[in-house]
Amino acid sequence: MSPVIDIKGLTKRYAGNFALKNVDLIVPVGVTGLLGPNGSGKSTFIKAVLGLVQVDSGAGTVLGQAWPLNVKSIRDKIGYLPEDDCYILGLQGIESVQMMARLSGLPSTEALRRAHEVLDFCDVGQERYRNVETYSTGMRQKLKFAQALVHDPSLIILDEPTTGLDPTQREEFLDRIHALAHRFEKSILLSTHILHDVQYVCDQVIILVRGQVRLADSLASMQRPIQSGLQIRVVCNAERLAEALRREGLSVQTDRDTELLVQGESIAIAATIWSASQRAGVLVERMDESKNSLEHLFMEIVSEKTHANS
Amino acid sequence: MPILDLGYRTWTGSRSREWLRWTVVATTGISLVWRGTWLKRFLLFATFPALITMFGVGLFEQSTRDETYRRMFNGFLASRVDPMGPRNRFRDRTRERTPIISETADVATQRHLAWSHLLLWYFRYPQSLWIVVVIGLVAPRLISYDLRSRGYLLYLSRPLSPSGYVLGKACVLYFLLAMITTVPALAVYTFGLLLTNDPAAFLQTWDIPLRILLGTVVLILPTSAVALAFSSLTQESRFAAFSWFAIWIVGWVTYLVLTGSALFNQEDAIKLQQRWLMISPYHILGHLQEEIFGLLPEDRHLIGPWILCGVVTLMGYTIARWRVARMLKV
Repeated sequence: MSPVIDIKGLTKRYAGNFALKNVDLIVPVGVTGLLGPNGSGKSTFIKAVLGLVQVDSGAGTVLGQAWPLNVKSIRDKIGYLPEDDCYILGLQGIESVQMMARLSGLPSTEALRRAHEVLDFCDVGQERYRNVETYSTGMRQKLKFAQALVHDPSLIILDEPTTGLDPTQREEFLDRIHALAHRFEKSILLSTHILHDVQYVCDQVIILVRGQVRLADSLASMQRPIQSGLQIRVVCNAERLAEALRREGLSVQTDRDTELLVQGESIAIAATIWSASQRAGVLVERMDESKNSLEHLFMEIVSEKTHANS
Repeated sequence: MPILDLGYRTWTGSRSREWLRWTVVATTGISLVWRGTWLKRFLLFATFPALITMFGVGLFEQSTRDETYRRMFNGFLASRVDPMGPRNRFRDRTRERTPIISETADVATQRHLAWSHLLLWYFRYPQSLWIVVVIGLVAPRLISYDLRSRGYLLYLSRPLSPSGYVLGKACVLYFLLAMITTVPALAVYTFGLLLTNDPAAFLQTWDIPLRILLGTVVLILPTSAVALAFSSLTQESRFAAFSWFAIWIVGWVTYLVLTGSALFNQEDAIKLQQRWLMISPYHILGHLQEEIFGLLPEDRHLIGPWILCGVVTLMGYTIARWRVARMLKV
């Protein structure tokens, strides 16, 4: 399947400073997380894709259309949820969404119908008849999401979409993203700082640091550890269990008093772990196949780049 | 989870053309400003001068049949266009004034002159002031509100250029100003045609609707451009409103001070008025209106006001566009 975004040699400078430096980026179909510390060029990349900022160099395709040549018609196929808190003063929620649909070329009545449907999908109730300036931060996020979806775009770009949402709303929001991607085959580019969100919904991850792509891979292969093993969580006394396992000839690392990492073939070592825990009198709470932590990986990449620059 | 079943529906309809999307900005803007109760009241009041103009047209048409109305019409017209009127402005005020409509010639042949005078009065005095007030109420928030609430990002994330956005916003003003000037003026003209029993009336006055349209364009384009430029330069609409009213008031007062001195004789006064014309937006537009309605004395034609108007219009829209495009930078 051809990628939704395939851009090469993308460079953007602000007053001589590189916001994006010769970036080659391929965003495949599915949900892609765009990660990076502040000032890494995530928002510039998104705005460049949308043609909202003029780039110094770069060319490619977005949704199969030549970029940046056909950027206006590309925008018709993209739903964008901006990071900024943006709204049209004086409009009701429903009118805002209808207006966005009309801006995407939907006829007025159809735009109103779509606006109601999408607001239902985004769990906006009667608040849709209130003026947008009276909305809470969470409501505004939902409204922006509805505005991004109303014209049924093929690619949805979400810039920090879960900011300001409470935990329940956030989970529902991520469920919607998941549903859009897997049931309605939408491609989604999710720019965020929240690694949990990325782990929850993303298939691929791109990490941008100082305007350059540092890593672009599937989430599954990123999380695959170099050596296989099992991650164990115990109620307490992790060190006592570790000693028992070492006596059995296994290689064990303890992270905290409740967590251990045991290296070896999962199926083969599982039985040894159970018997060792019984002997040591340590209650095992959870046992998972070990994974690389995205957080560790992210920190490593960012700090590696910082050291390289210093 | 039930949230997944809340009915997202794909949509595959035909879309409107990209180059027409700015009309959404315009219609949204019009619908938003139309909610203002005060604006509706102002627009209602702004139609009253059209009734006076209609009365003048009626009086003129009556004078074509009855001579006693002729003097009355001249008096009615003189009280409005004189001494500020174009024909009499430069005339020695101590001398007896010549009636605008000849009392000896066939009055019907002077219909064009009479209607033009009435419509010029309508554009030049009441409606110019209404335009300043209505734009001052509406325009300052058109772009500045979007800059404050970052609403421009919503507009421009769709197939809409900064130029299309500014055009849409300008159309809000065009609509309101057309409601104040063009529509009532054309209504006055139509009323005149319906009132007269002279079949030659249309042939005598066919160019007046065109002059009305041109007069509207000359009023609307530069004023909207300046107002939008002010609105785009700030996120606080009150600053834009202050600047808007300031240029009119300061220009007007300065012009009157510089040209109103009694120390100058008549000839100097004419030169002074021409020299300082360019500092008052109100007087520049008045000069252009007089020219458009064909009521400017032949030796008073100036190219300067036209050029200034064009430059201001171009600069206004360029500034507004530049500001909106600049806001997109991260």
